[in-house]
Amino acid sequence: MDMTQKALNVVAKVSGKDVAALQPELELVADLGIDSPKALQLLLDLEEELDIEISDEDAAKMDTVGDVLAFLNPA
Amino acid sequence: MARLFPAPPSTLTSALSRAAVHFPNRGVSVFDSRGRAHHRRSYPEVFAAAQQAAGCWVAGGVEPGDRVLVSLPTSWAFLDAWLGALLCGALPLAVAPGAALGAGASQIRKIEALVDRLDPRRVLVTAGFRRSAEAAEAARILAVATTPEEIAAQTSASSVLPTPEPSDIAFLQLTSGSTGHPRAVSIPHRAAVHNIMSSDQAIGAPQGSPAHEWAETMVAWLPLHHDMGLVGTLFQSIVGGLDLWLLPPGAFLARPRKWLEHLGQHGTAFAPAPNFGYQLCVERLDAASRVGLDLSNWRAAMTGAEMVRPETVAAFCEAFTPYGFRPEAIRPCYGMAEGTLALTFDIKGEGMRTRPLPQGADSSAGLNEIVCVGEPIADTEVHIVDAGGRPLADGEIGEVVVCGPSIFAGYFNDPEATAESLRDGRLWTGDLGFLHEGELYITGRLKDVLIVRGSNLMPHEIEWLAESVTGGGGALRTGAFSVARGAAGEEPVVVVEVNEREPEKLRAMGQEIRSNIGRTLSLPVADLVFVRRGRIPKTTSGKVQRRALRDQYLRGEIERLETTDEN
Repeated sequence: MDMTQKALNVVAKVSGKDVAALQPELELVADLGIDSPKALQLLLDLEEELDIEISDEDAAKMDTVGDVLAFLNPA
Repeated sequence: MARLFPAPPSTLTSALSRAAVHFPNRGVSVFDSRGRAHHRRSYPEVFAAAQQAAGCWVAGGVEPGDRVLVSLPTSWAFLDAWLGALLCGALPLAVAPGAALGAGASQIRKIEALVDRLDPRRVLVTAGFRRSAEAAEAARILAVATTPEEIAAQTSASSVLPTPEPSDIAFLQLTSGSTGHPRAVSIPHRAAVHNIMSSDQAIGAPQGSPAHEWAETMVAWLPLHHDMGLVGTLFQSIVGGLDLWLLPPGAFLARPRKWLEHLGQHGTAFAPAPNFGYQLCVERLDAASRVGLDLSNWRAAMTGAEMVRPETVAAFCEAFTPYGFRPEAIRPCYGMAEGTLALTFDIKGEGMRTRPLPQGADSSAGLNEIVCVGEPIADTEVHIVDAGGRPLADGEIGEVVVCGPSIFAGYFNDPEATAESLRDGRLWTGDLGFLHEGELYITGRLKDVLIVRGSNLMPHEIEWLAESVTGGGGALRTGAFSVARGAAGEEPVVVVEVNEREPEKLRAMGQEIRSNIGRTLSLPVADLVFVRRGRIPKTTSGKVQRRALRDQYLRGEIERLETTDEN
């Protein structure tokens, strides 16, 4: 499984949404209902499942599903 | 287990040196942001580092009375800076370091509003935040911003640090996360020490002796910009000489089990949390992940800072009693930043007790059973009064009014707000409740503040964000309030007046409003309701009547405009 798919699975698990419904433009808070406890769960789950580190500064730039994916696959 | 306990300190400043002298084998362990590794310092080391930091502040031009804002995550950098500012007689103020996801721009606006209101000498921020402020050309912040790295590089001045009087202001605390009108309470040393010593007594009451005599440990995750974190865990530990295990809030929110694990591992413990913390433990730890926990050391589990929900307490006891948790350890309490922290405590130690909501009462918190939050702390009186300020009888609901030595000195640089809350030497809490046999029951509140997961939010802040999308604010208005949604606690509802009728256009507008509020406040809106122009109840002067609007909403009397939104 590639990083993108793994990350989408984590976002789906934390938000309780279907992975097929996770469009890049969807906002983590407004659209997926990721409040602050879920946000921290999401960051730690991403770090552990993908074996990466996400700094507070990078996390602060993540507004949408697409932002999460862009962080994993920088252009 | 009893230890030699020195006389209580007269100030928070002396509490630090006292801990260094009398509790050299105890100290503070701070975990990293993920809750994995920790770094421990004994109280003599904590004190030495704070003195060093105080010297750096002095060398950097900080003088007694200057405001020093500390906006850092829970870390030694935070503790050194905050305690150092305290030691040099400045007024430290802890500011939330910003939400985990997004929210970069709103954090800049929030710090700007604080700089304008408090005129601080220094604002301590992360290097990352300063880069964002530079990119946004936030000149007023940049003029006073500094980072832990810069402070550490400064040569510490070896000046003699001042000895404050008990009546001097020790520190400032924010009362809400509002970007528009931040309010900071001024807490005198005397009030802080009184609150901590009274809490020590009240926490220990069921055991028959103050908490410091039997407790060895505190395990906490509350943010240090919150009164329950700063006073209720950090200073409660310093004054009581407890070993404090401090998890950053994010480490708990991501992995609530860590809090419970550590509560079982370091000796006889007490620990506070808001209702949502207990709820999160119930929701995130399924039966399998509870296995292996040992909560038998946890003698007092305070719950406060937001409405205590009977179903949460019941679910928590049911889930964790098999792992040694004692239901009688649950200790509801009530307080606020304006009272330093705690104002009442359940001291009976019989577990949660409730009474039915009195007949005819309107519980704005959506509860039928009201949890007893106990009796006033030492030297403190709690009265229930009607709208005219007349005292009410037992069982009658009115505003909670408090007087006692823990009450704050006023809002910093805000005489209007002070005059509203502090009248005849009494704190008008804006909360509603009743007394029964000397114990307090909170039923709701008069003020329009929203309390979501233990944090206070001002409704106008949410309303501005909605109105900036609709172009409202003039003829078209918005009303924001919170409603209780089961055990999860309160969630925000936003009602918006519009001229638009086209469902598809309303859907798009709704999307934009949710996005604006989500990005700025990291807050999902539970329900967004569009209504026709003029449908939000207002006073004759045009002020939105949020309570009336909320009542209409709860009774299902609001006529919603149709949108294509599935929400």
